[in-house]
Amino acid sequence: MRSFKFQAFLMTILGLSLIASACGTSGGGSPSTTTKETLTFAGFNFSESTILMDIYGKALEAKGYKINYKANLGSREVVEPALASGQIDFYPGYAATDLEFINKGKGEATGDPQATTAKLNTYLSAIGAKALDPSPALDANAFAVTKATAAKYSLTKLSDLAPVAGRMVLGGPPECATRPYCQPGLKSVYGANFKDFKALDADGPLTRAALSGGQVDIALVFSSDGDLDSRGYVVLDDDKHLEAADNVVPIIRTKVLNSEITSIFNKISAALNTTDLRAMNKSAGIDHVDPDTLAATWLKQHGFTS
Amino acid sequence: MVFLGQVIAWFLNPAHWTGSHGVPTRVLEHLQISGIAVGAALVIALPIGIALGHWGRGGLLAINVSNVGRALPSFGILVIAFEVFGLNNTPVLVALTLLAIPPVVTNSFIAVRDVDPELRDAARGMGMRERRVLFEVELPLALPLIMAGIRTAAVQVVATATLAALIAGGGLGRYILDGLGQRDDVQVFAGAALVALLAMAVELAFSGLEQIVTPRGIKGNPVGRMAVGVVEPRLF
Amino acid sequence: MGPLLDATDPWIRWDWFWLHVPVFEARLLEHVELTAIAVVVGIVIAAPMAIVAYRWRPLRDPLLAIGGLLYTIPSLALFAFLIPFTGLTVLTSEIGLVSYTLLILLRNMVVGLEGVPEEVRDAARGMGYRPLAMLLRVEIPLATPAILAGIRIATVTTIGLVTVTALIGEGGLGQLINEGLIEDFKTPLVVGTVLSIVLALVADLGLAGVERLLTPWARRSL
Repeated sequence: MRSFKFQAFLMTILGLSLIASACGTSGGGSPSTTTKETLTFAGFNFSESTILMDIYGKALEAKGYKINYKANLGSREVVEPALASGQIDFYPGYAATDLEFINKGKGEATGDPQATTAKLNTYLSAIGAKALDPSPALDANAFAVTKATAAKYSLTKLSDLAPVAGRMVLGGPPECATRPYCQPGLKSVYGANFKDFKALDADGPLTRAALSGGQVDIALVFSSDGDLDSRGYVVLDDDKHLEAADNVVPIIRTKVLNSEITSIFNKISAALNTTDLRAMNKSAGIDHVDPDTLAATWLKQHGFTS
Repeated sequence: MVFLGQVIAWFLNPAHWTGSHGVPTRVLEHLQISGIAVGAALVIALPIGIALGHWGRGGLLAINVSNVGRALPSFGILVIAFEVFGLNNTPVLVALTLLAIPPVVTNSFIAVRDVDPELRDAARGMGMRERRVLFEVELPLALPLIMAGIRTAAVQVVATATLAALIAGGGLGRYILDGLGQRDDVQVFAGAALVALLAMAVELAFSGLEQIVTPRGIKGNPVGRMAVGVVEPRLF
Repeated sequence: MGPLLDATDPWIRWDWFWLHVPVFEARLLEHVELTAIAVVVGIVIAAPMAIVAYRWRPLRDPLLAIGGLLYTIPSLALFAFLIPFTGLTVLTSEIGLVSYTLLILLRNMVVGLEGVPEEVRDAARGMGYRPLAMLLRVEIPLATPAILAGIRIATVTTIGLVTVTALIGEGGLGQLINEGLIEDFKTPLVVGTVLSIVLALVADLGLAGVERLLTPWARRSL
């Protein structure tokens, strides 16, 4: 008798879970009856990227598209292959860094956003993607030290690092150790050979804690950060132009691209600027306003939504 | 196959064995933090578990602390500890010690409590005072099961110490996280292999210790082996 | 004292909290789904393996050893390995999660079956039970306490592990924790952690109740 109860119990559980899993997997992206498809948008693992992803995504949602968001997906090393393999359809890139990533560090990026984007597109076409018009909004890698460190080693620009780098520890996201615009670039362009490298995060709380706490002497930050001054950081001037045109550029798979998306995205990109980025980053970082709230506000202010 | 060749090449590369990012340094960091956490857990958990087991009290607590312990998400505990203690080893130690306490408490409690009551009675009947009953009768018999609990805790801690990398810590998790960020699958694999090997080595070492401390009379006792520690819940 | 523990970011910002309750619900549901799939698939795979290990002695130790091996691989690494093959998908998370539940369930099932007293088996054989009937009507029912204990442990463990899948883009409540870390924002961190603990405790108590219901004869030690 008991064995029947037990068998029935097992059957019920199996049945219920099969139903549950069927429900779970079909909830994602069912084909709709309209001609507008469901797209998957992703962003890098820092809040500015989430804000940008939301701006471009919400603009399309206002036009009837359905967007699946994958925020904080990871570094470019994770996100770009995901685009290439079709797992995601879009991410907000940065022209120069994306170019140097996909060309494996050939050094083709320049300070000219148009030329850099055009070059980027020659590589993106091979993976079925396209970068649309670059925005005037710029967010490049920057290197910051505390005021105390700047005073100690008399640092105002990156060229000042070469003689003292051997006594300093560099901090940044793990990929900084291998990216041409980061540690290797500092070595080749500025002759800065650091004592050690400490893997932290992409300009997040770990970086802030390590820089302020002295576990690293110099850290990678992003030039559009909103809180550098308030934390007493000094950004060293990139006098030899290691960092190139890292303008915001929407990168999207050609399969899902159409004239409507192109037109909307180019208009958005043209309207974005670095001041906007800084202000939104500050709101997100200090007041913890939601990225999607910031995105919605920006879109409304600029007339993309009502 | 090519990939495996690359992994072997990674291990054969002498650059990976020297300096502050080298394998020996990372293994040492990993063991150090694991060791301190297990040590701290033992200091806290052993007295509690043994005392409760000896007096036969607080069983509900001792057993359910294991369930509560399993319910704690190490990832969350770690980040919360980081917010409180900052960027140093304390958050990792807190998270790992919390992880190690439940199996030790539960196992030592059950081990001491389940000592054959006849033996305890006989000892008391012989005139032994409570302290002698505990140290000369209960503990030696309970030792195998206590060791099983310590073994469980140690292996779990070694596996979970990988998490330290999430808040810029060292240890073998560094290879995994850095490899993920740099999309260097070889490094990820190497790191994972090292942690797995280390965990296995710790498991073997403690199993050996268990065998050594098991009194000959009850070696091969299935109850001793089929213990609470027979299943090691993985929290990371 | 953490340098970031500043007064402008309390442990819970209630205005943000109430605004995001639907998000918490969605994450919680994701978390439950991911856990349920892992445990059920784990049972489906472990059950036949356990019966095989129980019946064919030479296979017992190798099977348990494979499970044990899978278990020592840190979950973050296991997920990371699968990504090149199975992508940033639920499948990757599930393959990883299932391999962990496998050992817990397999061991408990095998130990449970082996714990059936020989006298009972003899009696059953004497009564004319053939192997399949014996398995279904005698051995499995008697192994139920151990099996259920295993399901309970596997479920609670998986709930904790699901938080880690946030680091590869999935993750239910782990997404909240990750967000808290990346944005240096304590509210989602606390909510994600607390909800995960509550979910685990509720699941544990619920399954303990099921254990009690189905096996009133068993001596309860855990």
